[in-house]
Amino acid sequence: MTARIIMKLLVESVRATTPEVAHISLVHPLRPQLPEWTPGAHVDLRLPDGKIRQYSLCGDPTDRMRYEIAVKREDDGRGGSSWIHRQVREGSTVHVSAPRNNFPLVQHARRHVFVAGGIGVTPFVAMTRALASEGQDFDLHLCARSAADAPLLDRLREQCGERLHCWFSSEARRFDTAALGAPAEGTHVYACGPERLVSSLTTALAETGWPSEQIHIERFAATLDENFKPEPFEARIASTGQMLHVPADRSLLDVLRENGFSMPSSCEMGVCGSCECGYSDGVVLHRDASLPLSKRQDRMMPCVSRARVSLTLAL
Amino acid sequence: MSEIPPPRMIEAFDHPAGSVARTVPGGATGWKGLLLNIHIAPAASYEMEELQQAHCVAGRGIEGDRYFHGTGTYSPKPDTREVTLIEQEALDALNRNDPPLQGGPIHLTPGDHRRNLTVRGVPLNHLVGRRFRIGAVILRGGRLNFPCKYLEELLGMPVYLPLYNRSGLNCAIERGGVIRPGDAIELVD
Repeated sequence: MTARIIMKLLVESVRATTPEVAHISLVHPLRPQLPEWTPGAHVDLRLPDGKIRQYSLCGDPTDRMRYEIAVKREDDGRGGSSWIHRQVREGSTVHVSAPRNNFPLVQHARRHVFVAGGIGVTPFVAMTRALASEGQDFDLHLCARSAADAPLLDRLREQCGERLHCWFSSEARRFDTAALGAPAEGTHVYACGPERLVSSLTTALAETGWPSEQIHIERFAATLDENFKPEPFEARIASTGQMLHVPADRSLLDVLRENGFSMPSSCEMGVCGSCECGYSDGVVLHRDASLPLSKRQDRMMPCVSRARVSLTLAL
Repeated sequence: MSEIPPPRMIEAFDHPAGSVARTVPGGATGWKGLLLNIHIAPAASYEMEELQQAHCVAGRGIEGDRYFHGTGTYSPKPDTREVTLIEQEALDALNRNDPPLQGGPIHLTPGDHRRNLTVRGVPLNHLVGRRFRIGAVILRGGRLNFPCKYLEELLGMPVYLPLYNRSGLNCAIERGGVIRPGDAIELVD
């Protein structure tokens, strides 16, 4: 995974798109163009206390002047969104990484079906804009309490038209996975939202026979097993033969850093993919939510993943 | 997050490259160069910021820079990194795709390349093991800089091979002070 430049961006505007969601537009104070991105990409916001939070870009990828994000205030969250809601104003400076895309549109799909819960709609705003402008086939199912609670609803209505299907619980319309129908070749389903919605959707799709390759999930919190008990292990550095001991209470990433290995990282919770590293000769306990199954036999995320007894790192 | 390590520098003439070069005579003399741009980054991966003047501190670096603070990408590894320089002539060559080893011209501005000082008329590859002056500040050439894949990733540009052997010079600061664009650069010995 690649390193990304961090920029001090200027807040061009902050608008409330719902009572709980701030729609923030960011520009570079000096450069006319920001780094490129594709629909589904996110940026990292670096908060003054060192926390990093990830937000999907919900603007227009062809507008190279600005990035747009939407941030829901989660007062019982991990503190990032409430800081943003309290402190970020027009004219503020925020520290933002160049975008990365872990949730891209599937190329050459025949049809795209999106299921969003509330603020989870943000990556789909950029995706549906791109698909609509290319005349591609898609549907967006948006679940929210009410129209007033649905982020960026005006924009979605404008760019999706009849392809937008709103499921507002205040109107007693609850999303039913039956709306997605039977599996169809070339149709890809994308979901982003609360864990409850995403897991019930994936279960229902599996029961209906949808192949997992046609289901794409964006998660902003890693699904760590609370019962996981970390054990110590040894990590061998392939290039030098150096042996590093990783105690039970420390991450492999921490131990590598302490020993002078400069590892990029961002979320340090197994979702962003920054610290990806190659390995051989070992049983790795993968605990991230980022690496696809196909890469797990020789790649790992040292921020959360560990090994049984020992492994060799391609460093 | 772990504690930020203090800068662990290797003095230029203690560096394996610098210490050997110090004992070998030769290299370009009689040149006179110019400091064009000064850039620092507040921490690893941050965009470089241009300065109109900079305070050089012996044994540490340029005030405000990530290697001065020990927060650079390579700070955990002791090395000679107080100040890094690159030749404008190398950037000009990249810009005209010379030599033509990549797809086309690479436009690398002084704010992009992540070296602190962009200079003109200074034969940096001759200055390992040498002392030279920028205004009133004296630098010691410790080792040649070499390109890293990290830079290529940050920039999203294929600069690794094109920068090879012209990636600049890593220096220690022997005598600190203030430098400004426009300062003359000369060999001391």
